[in-house]
Amino acid sequence: MTKLNSLVSRIFGWGAGLSMGLVFVIIFVNSLRRYTVGQSVQWGEELPVYLAVYGVMFGVALAYMQDRHIRFTIVIDFLNERRKTIMFILGDVLMAVTGVMLVLSALAFVERRGDTMSSGMFGLSRWLGDVTGIKALDALGTLGPYQYALVIGGAMITLAAVLKFIERATALRGL
Amino acid sequence: MIYVILIAGLLIGAPIAFAILASLSYFMATGDAPYNLRIVATELFNGLNSYPLLAIPLFVLAGELMNESGITGRIIAFANVLVGRMRAGLAMVNIWASVIFAGLSGSAVADTSAIGRVFIPEMEKHGYDRAYAAALTAASSVIGPIIPPSIPVIIYALIVTGVSVPALFMAGIIPGLLLAVFLSVYVMLTVDMKKINAASAALNEEKQPAREALLGGILPLMMPVFVVGSILMGVVTPTEAASFAVAYALVIGTFVYRKIKISALPRLFTEAMRDSAVIMIIIAAVSAANWLLTYNRVPNMLTDWVLGNVDSKTTFLIAVIILFLFVGLFLEGIAAMLVLVPILHPIAVSFGIDPVHFGILVIFNLMIGLITPPLGLCLFVAEGIAGVGMARLTKAILPFFLVEVAVLLVLTFVPETVTWLPTALGY
Amino acid sequence: QTIRIAHVDPDEWTGSKKGAAAQIFRNIVEGETGLSVEIFPAGALGNEDELVGQVQEGLLQMAIVSGAMSKACPAASVLDIPYTFASATVAWDVLDGEFGEALGEHCLEQTGMRTLAYGETGFRNFTNNTREIRTPADMEGLKFRVQPIPLYLEMVSGLGGEPTPIAWTELPNALSTGVVDGQENPVGVIYNNGLHQLQKYMTLDGHVYAADFLVISDEFYQSLTAAEQEVVARAAVVAGNMGRSIQQWTSAEGVLAVQAEGMQIYSPTADELAMFAEKAQPAVVEFLRGELGDDAAWIDQLQAAVAAAQ
Ligand code: NA
Ligand code: NA
Repeated sequence: MTKLNSLVSRIFGWGAGLSMGLVFVIIFVNSLRRYTVGQSVQWGEELPVYLAVYGVMFGVALAYMQDRHIRFTIVIDFLNERRKTIMFILGDVLMAVTGVMLVLSALAFVERRGDTMSSGMFGLSRWLGDVTGIKALDALGTLGPYQYALVIGGAMITLAAVLKFIERATALRGL
Repeated sequence: MIYVILIAGLLIGAPIAFAILASLSYFMATGDAPYNLRIVATELFNGLNSYPLLAIPLFVLAGELMNESGITGRIIAFANVLVGRMRAGLAMVNIWASVIFAGLSGSAVADTSAIGRVFIPEMEKHGYDRAYAAALTAASSVIGPIIPPSIPVIIYALIVTGVSVPALFMAGIIPGLLLAVFLSVYVMLTVDMKKINAASAALNEEKQPAREALLGGILPLMMPVFVVGSILMGVVTPTEAASFAVAYALVIGTFVYRKIKISALPRLFTEAMRDSAVIMIIIAAVSAANWLLTYNRVPNMLTDWVLGNVDSKTTFLIAVIILFLFVGLFLEGIAAMLVLVPILHPIAVSFGIDPVHFGILVIFNLMIGLITPPLGLCLFVAEGIAGVGMARLTKAILPFFLVEVAVLLVLTFVPETVTWLPTALGY
Repeated sequence: QTIRIAHVDPDEWTGSKKGAAAQIFRNIVEGETGLSVEIFPAGALGNEDELVGQVQEGLLQMAIVSGAMSKACPAASVLDIPYTFASATVAWDVLDGEFGEALGEHCLEQTGMRTLAYGETGFRNFTNNTREIRTPADMEGLKFRVQPIPLYLEMVSGLGGEPTPIAWTELPNALSTGVVDGQENPVGVIYNNGLHQLQKYMTLDGHVYAADFLVISDEFYQSLTAAEQEVVARAAVVAGNMGRSIQQWTSAEGVLAVQAEGMQIYSPTADELAMFAEKAQPAVVEFLRGELGDDAAWIDQLQAAVAAAQ
C-alpha cells in the first residue's frame, strides 16, 4: 500500500474507532446513571444512533480500503489472479460511481429534510447553544448534521474506490 | 436495467451493499416522478436510524474484547471439559459455546464473528475442513437469537399485538437447545474421525488439566450471568446490555487477566466498527430496496399468491415455511418480519395456531435465512473469517441447512416443543 | 389515479382506529369516484416521521399520523399541553370547529400537507408497577418512560417523576424487568401491546389528548377535480369519526379487559385532576412559549377555544 493509502485508511479508522468508543461510553454511562441515580439524559437514545451512522460510513470506507466488504465470490473464486484483479477494478469503478450518486442523493436529502426536528437532541443543542453562545449549534437539534454523514460517507467511498483503483491498476501491470 | 446492474455488480464481486445501492440509485435517478435520486439517501438513513441496531457494533466489540482478553478461549476450554472428550469434540465445543454465548448475545452475526475467529483456524489445525468449520460456526450461531436475549423476538412482539415478550423469550429456549442437540448429533454421525485424530495427535498438545479449565471458566461464565442478570434485574434494556458485555470484557481483560493493553483499544474499537459497518450497510441497503418493493406491493402479491393455494392449517404452515425460507434468501430477517408478519399473523390465528408458537416459527425460519446464500449474513461473516470462497462454503452449509429445516419441521408439527415451557411457567 | 395512504396501525377495522379509518376512507372514495385507494398499514413504509416525509415528497398522497405532525408543524404541539381537554367531546368540538380549521390552514402553509380531518389516538394515561397514583405526590421518584419529546420531559418532571427516554422497541422489556417503573400511553395502545401484563397500576388521568391527523399532499389534492375533492374531503371526515369511534370502543373495552386481567385502575377525582394540571401545565406552557416563538399565540387560541367549547 502506498503512503497515501495508509494515511487515508488511518483517518477512516480514527473516525470509525472514535464513533465506536463514543457509542459504547454514552450507552453504558447513561444506563448506569439511570440505574444508580435514577436520571438519564434525553439525548441518550438518539445521539448514539447518529454517531453510529457516522461510524458506519467511516467503517464502510475503511473496509473498502482493506478489501473486507461482504461480496459474492462464487464467480470470482474461479478466476486467475489477473482476471480477478480486472473484476475488482470494475468493482472500483462501480463503487466510485455509487459513491458520487450517494453524495448527490444525500445532498438533495439534507436540503429537503435537513431541518426536520430531532426531538431527543433538541434540549442538548439548546443547552450547547446557550453555554457557548454559538447560535449555529441549534442546528444540532435538527436531523441535518446527522443526515450529512451520508454526504461525507459517499465522498469517502469515492475516495477509497479511486485509491484502490490506482493501486490495483498499478498491480495489474505486474501480473 | 436495474437487475442488470445488480447482477453484474454482484458477479464482479463488488460489495453487496453497493451493488444494491448502485442499481437502486440508477432506478431512482432515471425513473419518472415520484421517484427521485434523493430517496436512496432518505431510505438508507432511515435504515440506519434505529436504536436496536446498535446492538450489532456493541456485541461485535464485546466479541473482539472477549477474544483479545482470552475470555473466548476460557469459555471454549470450559466447554471443552464438558463436551470436548466426546466424538468430534472440538465441533461439539463450537456448538455448545454458542449456546453459552446465546445467553449474552442477541445477534447471530456477532456470535459468528466472535466464535468464528477462534474456532475456524483452531478446527482446521485439528484436521477439520476449513469450509466445514466455517459452515458449522455459522449454523450454530443461529442459536443466539433463538435463546434469549433476542432482538428479533422483541421486534416480533411489537409487530404482533397481544404476544408478550417474556412468553416468546421462554418459548425460544427449548427450540434453541433442540437445534444444538440436532447439530451435535449430525456432527457426531458424519465427521471423519480418522483425519481428526491424526491431526490432533500430530499437534501433540499439552492437555490442560480439567480442574484448571473449569476454574478458569468461572469469570467468563459469569459474563452471561452478568449480562442476562442485568437485563432481568432491570438495570438495562437488551440493547444496553450489549454495552455491559463490552464493559465486563474490558474490565476482566484489562485488570484481571491483564491481556488487553490500553494502547490496543483504538485498534479494537476501529475493527469492531469496521466489521459491523459492513453488516449494517447491507441491512440499510436492503431496507432501502425493501421500501421500494413494499411501495410496489411485491410482498403482498407474493403473499396473496401463496394464500390463494392454501386451505388447511397444515398446508398453511408448510406454505409459510416455504414463503419465509424463500423471502429469507433475499431479505434481511427483521425487514422481512415487518413486511410479512402483519399480514400472516391474523391468518395464522384464524387457523387456530398459537400466536407464541407462530412467532417462534417465523423467527426460527428467518434465522435460517442467515445461513442461506445468496444473502445470508452469518455466512458472509464466516466467509470473511475463513476466506474459503462462497462456492465452497455454500456446498459445506447445505447439510447444516437441511438439519435446521428438520428442526423447524419438528417445531412446526410438535407445537409443545415451543409452547410447553412458557405455559408451564405461567406465561 | 391512485391514492396511497399509509399509517402505522394494524390493517383491520374492529380494533385498530387508523386501520378502520383507512378502510372506510377507501370504501367511500372507491365507491363514489374513479380514484383507487391503496392502503399501506402497520408501518410497512416506515414510522410516522418517515410517512410525513413521504407525503411531503409526493411518494404518498395521504397518511394518518399522530405525534409526528408536531415535528413538521410545531404549532400542533399545543394540543399536547397536558390536561387541556376535559373530555374527548370537548376535543372534538375544538378540532372540528374554527380552531381545528385554522390550525389545519397554518400547518398547510408550513408543510404542504392539508389536514382533511382529525381522528384520535386517545387520551394518554400513566401506568406503573410500584404504587397507585392518586395525586402528583405519588409520582415522586418514579421513572417513567416517555417519548424523547421535550414537552413530555417537562410534563413528567413537572409532576415529580423521572422522565426516561427508552426506545419503543425496548419498552416491554424495560417494563417487565423494571428498568423503568412506568410509562404513559392511551388505553388501547396499552392493551393491544400487552403492556398491562407488565404493569400493575393505571391512573386514568388522561394527561394528553392525542389526535390523529388525516393529511393529504396539497399538490395532489389540487390536481383532483372539484367533485373528487368533495368526496375525498367528506370521506376523510367520516374516516376520522370512524377512527374516533373505534378508539372509544377499544378504550372502554380495554379498561374492562385490563381490570379483568388484574390491573388496578384509579380514576382521579376532579380535585386530584386539578392538582395534576396545576403541577404539569405551567411548566409545559412556559416551555412551549419559549420554544414556539410566534407560534405561541396558538396556546392562547387553544385555551380560548376550549373555554368556549366547555
Ligand atoms: Na440470545
Ligand atoms: Na458456534
